[in-house]
Order: sequence, then C-alpha cells, then structure tokens
Amino acid sequence: MKKPTRWVRLDNAAKIYPAASGKTWSNVFRQSATLTESVDTEVLRSALSVIVKRFPSIAARLRKGVFWYYLEAVENPPKIKEEYSYPLVYMSKEEMRKCAFRVIVYQNRIAVEFFHSLTDGTGALVFLKNLIAEYLEQKYGVAIPMEKGILDRNANPCEAELEDCFLKNAGSVPVSRRDTNAWHMRGEEQKRGFLNLTCFKISATGALDLAHKYNATLTVFMSAVMMKALINLQNQKEPNKKRQKRIKLLIPVNLRTLFGGDTLRNFAMYTVPEIDPRLGEYTIEEICDIVKHKMGTEITKKHMGSVIATNVNDEKNPILRIVPLPIKNIVMKAVFNSVGEKKSCLTLSNIGKVTVPDIMSKYIKRFDFILGVQANAPYNCGMLSFGDTLYINFIRNIKDPELERHFFEVLYELGVEVEVESNLNGR
Amino acid sequence: MYCIKCGVKLANTEKKCPLCNTAVVHPEFTEFDDPIFPENKLPKSSPNSKFICGAVIMLFLIPVAVCFFADMLKDGKIDWFGYVLGAILVGYIVFALPLWFKKPNPVIFAPCDFAAAALYLLYINFATGSNWYIGYAFELTVALGVITCTAITLLYYLRRGRLFVVGGTAMAVGGFLLLTEMLTARKFCVGFSGWSIYPLTVLFLLGGLLIYLGISRRAREIIERKFFI
Repeated sequence: MKKPTRWVRLDNAAKIYPAASGKTWSNVFRQSATLTESVDTEVLRSALSVIVKRFPSIAARLRKGVFWYYLEAVENPPKIKEEYSYPLVYMSKEEMRKCAFRVIVYQNRIAVEFFHSLTDGTGALVFLKNLIAEYLEQKYGVAIPMEKGILDRNANPCEAELEDCFLKNAGSVPVSRRDTNAWHMRGEEQKRGFLNLTCFKISATGALDLAHKYNATLTVFMSAVMMKALINLQNQKEPNKKRQKRIKLLIPVNLRTLFGGDTLRNFAMYTVPEIDPRLGEYTIEEICDIVKHKMGTEITKKHMGSVIATNVNDEKNPILRIVPLPIKNIVMKAVFNSVGEKKSCLTLSNIGKVTVPDIMSKYIKRFDFILGVQANAPYNCGMLSFGDTLYINFIRNIKDPELERHFFEVLYELGVEVEVESNLNGR
Repeated sequence: MYCIKCGVKLANTEKKCPLCNTAVVHPEFTEFDDPIFPENKLPKSSPNSKFICGAVIMLFLIPVAVCFFADMLKDGKIDWFGYVLGAILVGYIVFALPLWFKKPNPVIFAPCDFAAAALYLLYINFATGSNWYIGYAFELTVALGVITCTAITLLYYLRRGRLFVVGGTAMAVGGFLLLTEMLTARKFCVGFSGWSIYPLTVLFLLGGLLIYLGISRRAREIIERKFFI
C-alpha cells in the first residue's frame, strides 16, 4: 500500500507569509555554497532525491485547506534550475503549490531558495549543509562525520525536527504590539523585478577585533555600522533634522539558542533597536550601546516567551480559526500591509559563523546568505562568516546603491578594508 | 583592483564599480573572472498572469455572445444588445483592465473608468432618443470624476495630510449631492425639496472635523487615546 503523503500545519511564524505574498513579491530567501569545482548536476540530482526524503517539512509544497494553508512533503525532487542574472526571482503561488523551494546551479555554486513558510535561516542552513554533504559523498566518495549540522541522511526525520516550537514555548502573558514607525527608503525601481545584489567581503577576524574594541559582538557592531549608514543616508535625503524619522533595524533572533530544541521549522523572533536622529548625531560607540542594551533586555526567555504568546494567542482564537482561508488572507494581508514592514527600515539577518566538518571544508570556497527585499521597502541584508571572511549581501530593488555607498563610507572611516562584488554585469 | 572614483576594492569579477557605476580602468588588467551571476539572462514574464487575463476576457465574452444571440433570435435585429455590451465594456475597463498590469496605477485608471462611464451614458442617451445627457448626466459624471480622481491622486502621491484629503473629499461629496439635486430640479422641472442639505451638513461637519484633526496634534492624540483598538 502506498504510504500517505506527510503533511504539517504551518508554524506560527509561517502563517503570515502566504497571505502576505502578492503578484510581484513573495518572501523568499537564499542560501548558497560555492564549491572549489564545477557542480555535477547529475550527482546533485541524486543527492537531492536523498535529501528531500530526509527533510519532509522543508522539501515541501504549499497547499490550501479550507481554514489554513499547510505543507505537504514533495515525493520527488524538483528539477534543478539554471541561474538568472539576479537571485530570488519571484516565486508565484502556482510554483509554491508544486514545490516551495528551488535548487539552482551556476558554475561552482549550489544555491537553494526557500519560501519562508518552510523554514528559517538556521533550518535552511542544515538543509543546505546536508545537501552538500550528500553531494560530496556521492561525487568524491568521502565519508563525512555527523557533526556541525550534518545529520544521518538515511535515517527517518525525528519528531523534534518537525515540531512547532512556538506553541511549546509561548509565555503566559502577551505583550503589546504597539510600536513606532520607521524611516522608509525610496528610489527609482528596477524594471521587470530585477534585484541588485552587492556583496561586501570583510576579514572576519578584523571585524571581530574591531567589534571587541567597542565591547560588542559582531552582530551588534555590524548593526551599528548599518544604522550609522542609514542615519547618514537620511541626513543626505532630509537635511532638516526635525522632519527626520526613526532609524530602526529588524534583527532576527534564533530562538533555539534561548529555548533549545532541534526544530528545522521556523523558530525565530526579532528585536528592533532604534535611534531617533532628531536628538542629535550618534557615534558608532553610542549606537553599539543602544543595540547592545536593546538586545540584552529583549533577548531573554521571558520577553521572547511573551512575544510568542501574543502571536500564538491570535492563532488560538476560536473565532479566527473558523474563518475561511480566503477571508483570513484578506485580513492578514491588510494587517501586514498596514503594520508589518512599517516598523523597521530593513532587516539585518546574521546567520553567524558557518562551520562544516573539516573534510567538507576543503571542497567549499564560501557560503552566502541572501534575503529577498521587503514587500514595500527596497532593501534587505543577510550576512554570515565562513573561514575568515564575512560575507554581507545587500539586496535592493531600486537602481541607486545609496545605502551601500554610505555603508562602505562608514566602514572606511573605521579603517575596515572591504572588497565588493555584484551582479551589476548581468544588468 | 580599486575603483578610481570611490576607492573601494573591487573583486576581479567587476567590470564596473557596484557602488558608483564607474567603469574599471586599469591598463594592465584586461582579464576579468566570470561574473557571479550570468549576464543578460532574465526570467520570462509570468504566463500565469496572462492566463488569468485571458480567462477573464472569456468570462466577459460569454454573456456578450449569449445576449447577442438572444437579441438576434427575437426578430433578427439588434434592439437592446447595445446596452448590455456597453455595460460589460464598462465593467471590463473598471475591474479587469488593471489585471493586465503588474502594478496598476489608480491615478491613471480612475479617469479612464469615468470616461468609459460618461461614454456609456452618452450612448444610452442617443439610443433612447432622450435629452438628459448635456445639462445633467455629463455634468454629474464630470463632477464625481474630478472629486474621485483628485482624492485618489492626492492619497496616492502625498505621504502626509491624508486627513485633509479625506476631509476635503467628504465636503466635496456633500457639494456633489447638492449639485445633483439642483440639476435634477432644473432638468426635469421638479421642485427643489432640499433633501441634499441634510447629507451636505453632515458631510461638511465630518470633513471639518477631519481637517481639524489634521491641524491639531493634541486633538489627534486625544482621539487616538480614546479609540485605540
């Protein structure tokens, strides 16, 4: 008898993304690994067929129920796609219905693009690492130890990996969602949905040493640099200080480090440090302190539990649950449009230091993490470090790289040497 | 390799500086590495949206065909089909035409909608041999069109002052109702009963309140404090 197809409900964070997706925008992000040699697509296809069975909640498609969306595991691996001139090409609902992730090969690079309802950055990285491990094993016959995120790829997925950890870790008291709006960048949009990618490569140890001088972690320090760049950009666009808006950065927080758990589904929340530029000029040191204290007070089990409780309470509301999906979609989209992205200028997501077993590292040149742009704001930024290089990927859907220029200028003033690359040639 | 304009270090893949778009100039450097993304390879525009637009056209064509044959079958002449066709065309322009565009701009589509409605009314006026278009329907359509299009344009392009726009629009709608009653009385020789004074008063008060809220920050804060959800 044929085994029934495995399905899971969307986790609490994933529920908003299908409703928020539109005709030109979907919340998709990319993780990629660049190998030392050209990718053999035949071997990759074979590796992918092993991996889709191992990760049924990630190798999935988005289906509609009467009241909620749900994820259904794909039985066969999707076709490996070719790279276009820009990453994160719009993923339509039709495409998500067939498969909500893509595997893309270009020269030495294997990239996977995930619809955000499937997983978060941490889960995606586990998926990518295991895909690479399986590929390397099949291609070169190397035995890769099960460490640093590499799992037993022939085992069945365990329940902990498929768990919705939001429900388990919700606190007892919800917090208010009221928050101030942030400054929004604008610019002349690129035609036909083209996305500009600019990657800054920095020495990870150099950046970390500098961060330590400011008594900050790398995330805090780079957030401060980004906020300083945003302040300078707003100064240029709106010289009248009194009319300036708040600079706010959305920094995702991996809740596994707080609550534990091995889930491969979404389990991240965020913190939003902010600066009011009307109050005067800020030094990097001051901004580092602001970010550090904000993160210190909010990234705690108690606070995050309360934030989760707010979201989970909505999901548990019996009246909301029985509302049919099309009506839910209209309401959720309206809420997302009016509130969702107005509370921050952009997202700066740091996956952290990517490590792989030693035997794998000699086959891998670099990893990259690229966020899609926001629905109504032109920028987003993803970063990670691999080896001694910090890769900071800016994505934007407007023509002028204004923020990148200011970001570079701030780094230059701090004495950080930067190398940039882009997909500008593809335009 | 460094950009000669902004000074940033460039990867060997870059033919132009990603930060200032300056072409790379180096007399001894001619061999670039392969670009990190393929050049000039763009996805085809989604066939899905075109399929939907085609399906919507079919949806509009079915009643057109049915009405045409029903009208013709009666006496072999076209009697009332023109009205149906006009209504369906107006419906298509209002609801289906924006589907062809990825980001339909309401500032362009709203005047088109009113122009279509005005033409349809003109057709009915001639087809029925009436005389109510000039002096009544045309003026009212133009007045409503100007109010609606102005409000849409201001709301679409202005980032501030929405309360002023909504308040002003409410007042203008009150004026439109008064105009409707006046033109009805003049064109059709019915008495001016003054019913439009009531909505005019309410809309003026509402508009005035919204404009006051737009001016007074303190009043806005009080309203927000009392009525937040």
